[in-house]
Amino acid sequence: MDRIAAGCDIGSLTAKAVILNDGRVLAARIIDVKSRPEEAARSVMDLALADAGLSRETLGCCVGTGYGGKQIPFADEVVSEIACHGRGARWLLPSARTVIDIGGQDCKVVKIDKEGKIVKFITNDKCAAGTGRFLDVMAKLLGVTLGELGELSARAKKPLTFASTCTVWAQAEVIHKLNDGETVEDIGGAINEAMANRVVIMVNTIGAEADVCITGGVSKNVGVVKAMEKLLGLRIKKLRVDPQVVGALGAAIVAQEKLKGGR
Amino acid sequence: MRSVLKEYNFDWRFWSILDNACKMFDGTPKEFQHTVPYAPAFRETSEKILGLGEPGLKLVKGTARYMENILKAHERGRKIALITYNCSPAILYALDIVPYCLEGLSAFYASTWKMGISESLDYCCEVGFTETSCSGQRVALGSILAGLSERPDLILCSTPGVCDSNANSFAFASAYLDIPFCQMDYPPTLVDEAANEYQRADFRRMITFLEEQSGNKLEPDKLREICEEMARQDELICEIQELQRLIPSPVPGVYNLLLYDIKVLFSGVPEGTEILEAMLAVAKDNAARGVAGDGEERLRGMFFYIDHYCISMKYWRWLEKNGISHIGTMMTDFWQVDAPYAKGREIEGYTIDTGNMDAMIDSLVGQTSRMPMIKQIRGPYDAPHMWLDDTVGVAKLMKADFLAYMGTMGCRNTWGMVKLIARDLEKLDFPTLILYADSFDNRVEPVDTFLGKIDEFLRVRRIRGWEGARWTG
Amino acid sequence: MREEINEAVTTLHNRYVRQWKAQGGKVVGYPCSYVPEEIIYAGGLLPFRLRAVEAQSTSIGDTYFGPVICSFPKCILQLAGEGKYGFLDGAIICNGCDSMRRLDECWRKASEDYEGILPAYFAYFAVPHKVEDYSLKWFTGHMRAFKEGIEGHFDVRITDDDLHRAIREYNRGRLFLQKLDELRIADDVPISGAEATAIVIAGTGMPRDIFNDLLEGILEQIGSEKRKIEGKRLLLAGSVIDDVSLIEVIEGAGAVVVADTLCFGSRSYVDLVDETGDPIEALARRYLNHSFCPRMFGYYRDRLRYIAERARRAKVDGVILQNIRFCDLHGSEHGIFERDLEAQGIPCMRMEREYGPLAEEGRIQMRVDAFLERLRG
Repeated sequence: MDRIAAGCDIGSLTAKAVILNDGRVLAARIIDVKSRPEEAARSVMDLALADAGLSRETLGCCVGTGYGGKQIPFADEVVSEIACHGRGARWLLPSARTVIDIGGQDCKVVKIDKEGKIVKFITNDKCAAGTGRFLDVMAKLLGVTLGELGELSARAKKPLTFASTCTVWAQAEVIHKLNDGETVEDIGGAINEAMANRVVIMVNTIGAEADVCITGGVSKNVGVVKAMEKLLGLRIKKLRVDPQVVGALGAAIVAQEKLKGGR
Repeated sequence: MRSVLKEYNFDWRFWSILDNACKMFDGTPKEFQHTVPYAPAFRETSEKILGLGEPGLKLVKGTARYMENILKAHERGRKIALITYNCSPAILYALDIVPYCLEGLSAFYASTWKMGISESLDYCCEVGFTETSCSGQRVALGSILAGLSERPDLILCSTPGVCDSNANSFAFASAYLDIPFCQMDYPPTLVDEAANEYQRADFRRMITFLEEQSGNKLEPDKLREICEEMARQDELICEIQELQRLIPSPVPGVYNLLLYDIKVLFSGVPEGTEILEAMLAVAKDNAARGVAGDGEERLRGMFFYIDHYCISMKYWRWLEKNGISHIGTMMTDFWQVDAPYAKGREIEGYTIDTGNMDAMIDSLVGQTSRMPMIKQIRGPYDAPHMWLDDTVGVAKLMKADFLAYMGTMGCRNTWGMVKLIARDLEKLDFPTLILYADSFDNRVEPVDTFLGKIDEFLRVRRIRGWEGARWTG
Repeated sequence: MREEINEAVTTLHNRYVRQWKAQGGKVVGYPCSYVPEEIIYAGGLLPFRLRAVEAQSTSIGDTYFGPVICSFPKCILQLAGEGKYGFLDGAIICNGCDSMRRLDECWRKASEDYEGILPAYFAYFAVPHKVEDYSLKWFTGHMRAFKEGIEGHFDVRITDDDLHRAIREYNRGRLFLQKLDELRIADDVPISGAEATAIVIAGTGMPRDIFNDLLEGILEQIGSEKRKIEGKRLLLAGSVIDDVSLIEVIEGAGAVVVADTLCFGSRSYVDLVDETGDPIEALARRYLNHSFCPRMFGYYRDRLRYIAERARRAKVDGVILQNIRFCDLHGSEHGIFERDLEAQGIPCMRMEREYGPLAEEGRIQMRVDAFLERLRG
């Protein structure tokens, strides 16, 4: 059997693992991080291996990434998640040149070249307002799931101005608007719009180059994605895997290259 | 920025709004009502301005002409100077240079036009501004940086020594667009000889810069004309503010906005004088009849920093409809030696002396160094002649029932000490509220939210038995 | 890193300060590289640059400063409130920037609540934002008054000779540091950026003559050691950095900071004070003609030239432009630097960060890792 390449992405909220064999994705797993990164890494990798019907011994090379990347005990190398998102996106979509990653804790926009290498990047992690955290908090207040929050935009009828500069203040704003009798749809739409706005500033700072794709959990929010498309004036291409695993996939691709004597 | 916003230049759009507004206002009330449904976003603003009568009409016409001057400047062979709001345009008018006041336009855009403001604001961040920068410049500056405005030929900034955030925006614009830059820098004190000498030399250096850039020479006759007009305007402003002392104040709250609009846009030109004359007539008439400028006065509020400009003038309407007489801000204190609050503090005031060229230039030096914020924020807030002194003086004189602070999130220097000044004001028995709204960016704390906070404050502190806002929009 | 340097970097009340005070000496704090240390030193006082390395919280700082302010002056106030600056006999607050200048009022107000935290001598020092003959004239007068203030309060007399001596001593140190700069940019890098910056920082917390002697020794040691530090060569620019942990994080990712344009860095020593003529005038000229900081408005081109030249001389692979959150002066200008430096073929990364107890290493690490990966190609 060919030696297996794996990528493991340990974030602050979720841990992801992807197993590749000769260019095929054998397994991909996402779990919530409840404990120390080393344990999360072991858990998610074991689950992915089990899905693929493989054991840890068959792992030829594993590349770690994410905030907890350096704590992965079985990682042969650690690569930045910015690079991994770029590589993963490129592998899934060869025409990708701009990758927008909106995770739970931060937001990054990466420009890549035709090989998937980083040309330029920008991150925003000082403020919750441009990250998934913002949507988390808002969804809870509205009593909807994250998925449902995304769908609200399509049913929103009235544009609302929304306190989007600060997540903390935005919460009071949501309650205020609910009390004023604004509909959950309109508020949800405004929240998604506000989120899109903040991300688009970053995209425009770096300059969007087609094709643009989006990774990270927030990309599952159709309201945010549609609003971003409208603001950017271009289509955001969908990737054919769960957008949350793109980082781990990118890491697996780097691992695969190492196995083939690439880097 | 959405492509739809790039179809027309921002300054052209604004001029077009004003130009059409002038035509609307010139018609009959029935014609006005018929036209409004075609421009629903402007209904409330139009009604507020129109409701002012002649002053409102003259303001809109004057501002339309101001915008037209910008749009046609290059066609007419004139230079455009991008200036900050506390840089009085008088010297520019004297040199036949067209002023383009960034914050003035930011305030106008924010209060009349919801659609593209946030994108203009955000555009600045896209090209490198920190997102924490002052919003006061960014609203209009975004359009300039994006090339969606007449391009200024020179940049004149009078906030070094007073406000980093402001000066930084202008320095950025100069570096980004490669436009000649001149700053007027202020020492931290006001009335001593060294400060005076500095300011006099600095102003003259600025004149040299303006002459070089424009190719025009400062002529005494033209300067005299401007100074005399300014002196006339100062008389009118002082008279209006003297009337504000009456209880109830016969001066409509939004006149405060007009006062600094005029100083910032029309200093030394007849447009400004005409508006002031119309305002004074209304105020005098109200005073004669013993009525409040806004119909009813339940409370007298002083917003001791700046006002709020978005959206649809709701803040102004809320104050008016709830009977809160707006009795001034830092922005309405110009420190003419005859200003009511300057009594006993004449050393801090300025006079206009048209005797000779030097005297006139020195008068302008005195005047510009006392523009709002340039006077009060250049030094520690509790130093003599600075913010605390000025606020207490005006609050006592105008008999404020409460004070409120509102600014922008980008205001480093006031957020650096607002808690301290509020503490001092409370000790002096002035109930003081700190608001977190942003005067130019409605996304920070939407207007309804912060108006609710003012209402809550008045109720909780039981200011004159306040029982709550009667109108919330 | 030498132990004395390390102690001076990580501890405010370091051994030199303790020794100085034990001998009856007085210490005067100042917050910014625009304050003329030479005048303080000439008065027989120890100039101590205010830092906030030991701050673990901003509870006191936040009470007086508002929320949207740079954390650096907040953290200094925090330490003052906790009594950590009890060794100061004086403090000068200067209008380096708006956040910093409000430390004056905030500290004074805090002293109403926290007894004894205000040094006996507390003065405000203003610096113009432009260089003109009349701003220089104003500044010279202001500096003379500053000198007189120190003389009056500390009952000392500062003669022109005293000033010339102080200027020479400080220039001596600046020349040594310029030599250090040269060593740093050698093809074989003998000293890390963290170590080099530590030396500069340490120098701001001890008597200048002692520092100069230490420095002389360190330079000899570097010369003889023949170390070779590997890593991508970087230039570090931006907001104040008063401790080395940030640089350690950057270098730990596989880089070496070979040059900087920081104020606890090259800004403090690349220009000397004229040793001839009226010393106050000479000091005023040097401290005003100092356009390295974006607080000097309208000097972008000069700063661009400076940073580009330094980057080229140091043969850097990339430039990191960092700013503390709410530092709009550095933060915004970095946007234009990035545009113009990248156009000259110098890769840049802009990085906004928090300062003090809120700083998060992980986030910085992530960005530096990605930048270095980009540089490695």
